[in-house]
Amino acid sequence: MSISFIHRHILEDRMSGYEPSPNVNHLTVIRRPVIFSAIAHAGHEVSVAEALSLVENIVARSVSPSDWLVVSQSTDAGTIATSLAAIPGLSFAEQSDGQVLMALSGPDVRTILAKCVAVDLHADVFAEGFSAPMMICRVAGNLARTGADTFEIIVPRSYAGYVFDELREAGREHAVTRGFGE
Amino acid sequence: MASLITCPHCGRRPREEFSIRGDAVPERPAPAASEEAWHAYVYLRENPRGKIREYWHHVAGCRRWLVVERDNLTHEVFAVTDARDMANGGAA
Repeated sequence: MSISFIHRHILEDRMSGYEPSPNVNHLTVIRRPVIFSAIAHAGHEVSVAEALSLVENIVARSVSPSDWLVVSQSTDAGTIATSLAAIPGLSFAEQSDGQVLMALSGPDVRTILAKCVAVDLHADVFAEGFSAPMMICRVAGNLARTGADTFEIIVPRSYAGYVFDELREAGREHAVTRGFGE
Repeated sequence: MASLITCPHCGRRPREEFSIRGDAVPERPAPAASEEAWHAYVYLRENPRGKIREYWHHVAGCRRWLVVERDNLTHEVFAVTDARDMANGGAA
């Protein structure tokens, strides 16, 4: 007898309700991202950072000078693990089921995030492609700017429901809609 | 208390992201040092007014240990250094 496990996202229950189409301000929950935690061994920080930037189909979100979250929405975990294993001086562990990836986008995104984050997100300071660990709705997570009006948030799975509710509440005045994305 | 700390890795951050882990001034004695020296290292602390040096852990950020030099009277922050750089003989 075969058993098939059906993937059920932690935020599945919060997606119910009537929302006919996404508004300009929209919160996308990425259904199945691949997330690895990667740590460089002492003395390898610079070479690992450079090697990570050369791996295809991933983005390395910076956590500390020797610590990254490797994120991919297009490649499977096995392929990424193989690429990471080839980098000398790097230890990694898959975190895909331990972290939740959300993307908040729209013209009012900075006003919404200003209620959740105590860090200056002006484009001069926090430019596109920039990422940093910070408190997001009082939860330690990682924030990245992926576009002029798009930010991506990574928070631990067990806090994701709370952060999701807070982001929705913060975005209520700007009519933020929500939905799953691939 | 100083409410904005400039982390050398993350930039200006609110103090809620940090956890203060105690006085950074005492120096760890040698393993074979006298009981008095170890007692002093583990239990005895000065309680100065003014400029102090503490270990701060950036829990919600880069998770690095920092040494923060600040004034507990005026709340002025003089320097924030990564504890490892400090241990390797960096800026005091």
